[in-house]
Amino acid sequence: MKLKKTKLPKKYKHFLIGILIVIVYYWALSGTDTSLSSFAKGFPFMVDFIKRMFPPDISNLNVYILKAVETLQMAIIGSSLGALIAFPLSFLAARNLMSNKIVYQTVRAIFDICRGINEIVWGLIFVSMVGLGPFPGVLALAAHVTGALGRYFSEAIETVNPEVIKAIVSTGANKIQTIVRGIFPEVKPLFVNYSLYYLENNFRAATVLGLVGAGGIGMELITSMRLFKSREVLTILIVMILTVTMIDRFSAYLRKKIVNIEVVE
Amino acid sequence: MIKIENLTHRYKNRKEDALNNIDLHIKHGESVVLIGSSGAGKSTFLKCINRLVDPDSGKIHIDGKEILNCPIKEAEKIRINIGMIFQHFNLHERETILKNVLNGRLSYNNTFKTILGKFSKEDYEIARNNIKRVGLEEYENERVAYLSGGEKQRVGIARALSQEPKIILADEPVSSLDPKLMREIMDLLKKICEEESITLVSSLHFLDFAKRYATRVIGMRDGKIVFDDKPEELTEQNIVEIYGKTRDWYMYGKLGF
Repeated sequence: MKLKKTKLPKKYKHFLIGILIVIVYYWALSGTDTSLSSFAKGFPFMVDFIKRMFPPDISNLNVYILKAVETLQMAIIGSSLGALIAFPLSFLAARNLMSNKIVYQTVRAIFDICRGINEIVWGLIFVSMVGLGPFPGVLALAAHVTGALGRYFSEAIETVNPEVIKAIVSTGANKIQTIVRGIFPEVKPLFVNYSLYYLENNFRAATVLGLVGAGGIGMELITSMRLFKSREVLTILIVMILTVTMIDRFSAYLRKKIVNIEVVE
Repeated sequence: MIKIENLTHRYKNRKEDALNNIDLHIKHGESVVLIGSSGAGKSTFLKCINRLVDPDSGKIHIDGKEILNCPIKEAEKIRINIGMIFQHFNLHERETILKNVLNGRLSYNNTFKTILGKFSKEDYEIARNNIKRVGLEEYENERVAYLSGGEKQRVGIARALSQEPKIILADEPVSSLDPKLMREIMDLLKKICEEESITLVSSLHFLDFAKRYATRVIGMRDGKIVFDDKPEELTEQNIVEIYGKTRDWYMYGKLGF
């Protein structure tokens, strides 16, 4: 195969790419009113805002901690629900299992829609459907996770070595047996790993779901902000940062353990 | 035992047939070895016998039952009688030997029990017996990932035997092993097949090897059978015909056993 030579010399090509990048940034900056001078003008107000946050007001700390726990509960139920729905569907969205193109494309499209809509937007939708509180939050997380995990699960299934599957088929196993004993053992650690990753992700997402009334610590944050109780805002932010860090660390530790045990050894 | 008529297959986007009008009758208890260069159609041929590859045309009868032109459910039933061993073992690396060997019992188990991961007492007994037979009884709960290549192929053999098959297909069973292990594994496979009077159809790369383990050698070239006789009838002329006029066959022929 002959490689096509570019007509322009390299020097001009780089120059043209450079001009293109400058144009794109100019266009994007002008559309967003981003300017150093307005940042400088606003700076004293920011300093004032931060000053008003100190010292943090811990009189309602126990409420915030309870709300953080509620956030974690939302993340656990939302992620599990999403994983449970995604699990069976993902087998329908794997090209190596589903020869029916219509089914495959439809399930993939459902995953893409679920995943394409942000948790906050799902939150708005479910709040208007089932009212305020943590329940619409759980549904919002589950909807998004179904799409995301469904996509990852089905891609994991597609990467299973077809030769290993053939060995199970050759024993006379039927299709379901082939999935259970041929494919599932190969994807199990990946499934667990992805699910834990989304649990961690969902906790972060759940902290802001309260902004649209869908439960969790975000609800406290938006209330205090609206009442200009800046000192409470700081306490809530600290609780958020601490819990998110804790959950992230714990989940990362668990995932690392699983990868070590199941894959590397 | 295995009756093959007019078997022809061409892979998608290929200009030449992988298999071209093959007729063959394999009798009970034979040890048939397929030889030929890479791409001669040996592997495709083996995979047609248990319908892992669905050929374009032709008929294959296993014990009088047609496996190709029938619903897949029927083919699954026929596959019970045909064990298969692979070049790259095709085991679940993360699972234990016992679990891998139990997979040979899947066709005797019902779907619901499979989902729950349950097997009957008899299934366990047969699986353990076969693990013992290939000499791995002390390691049944060891993960396959920890085993050496030779041990992995022993697990492959135990899995195939657990089907209680009448036929074993071995697709380059020793090509990823070193020469000493090659002999060990082939000796074991041949011994078991003779004891159980299992018909063995294997593809092997080396001529010396083919001669040693075959009661019948089949030479393939470009999807056709160009030699079919007892191993001692194989002449230099035949070998050139099978491997072509390049001196490839010399390499395949002499490994120094």
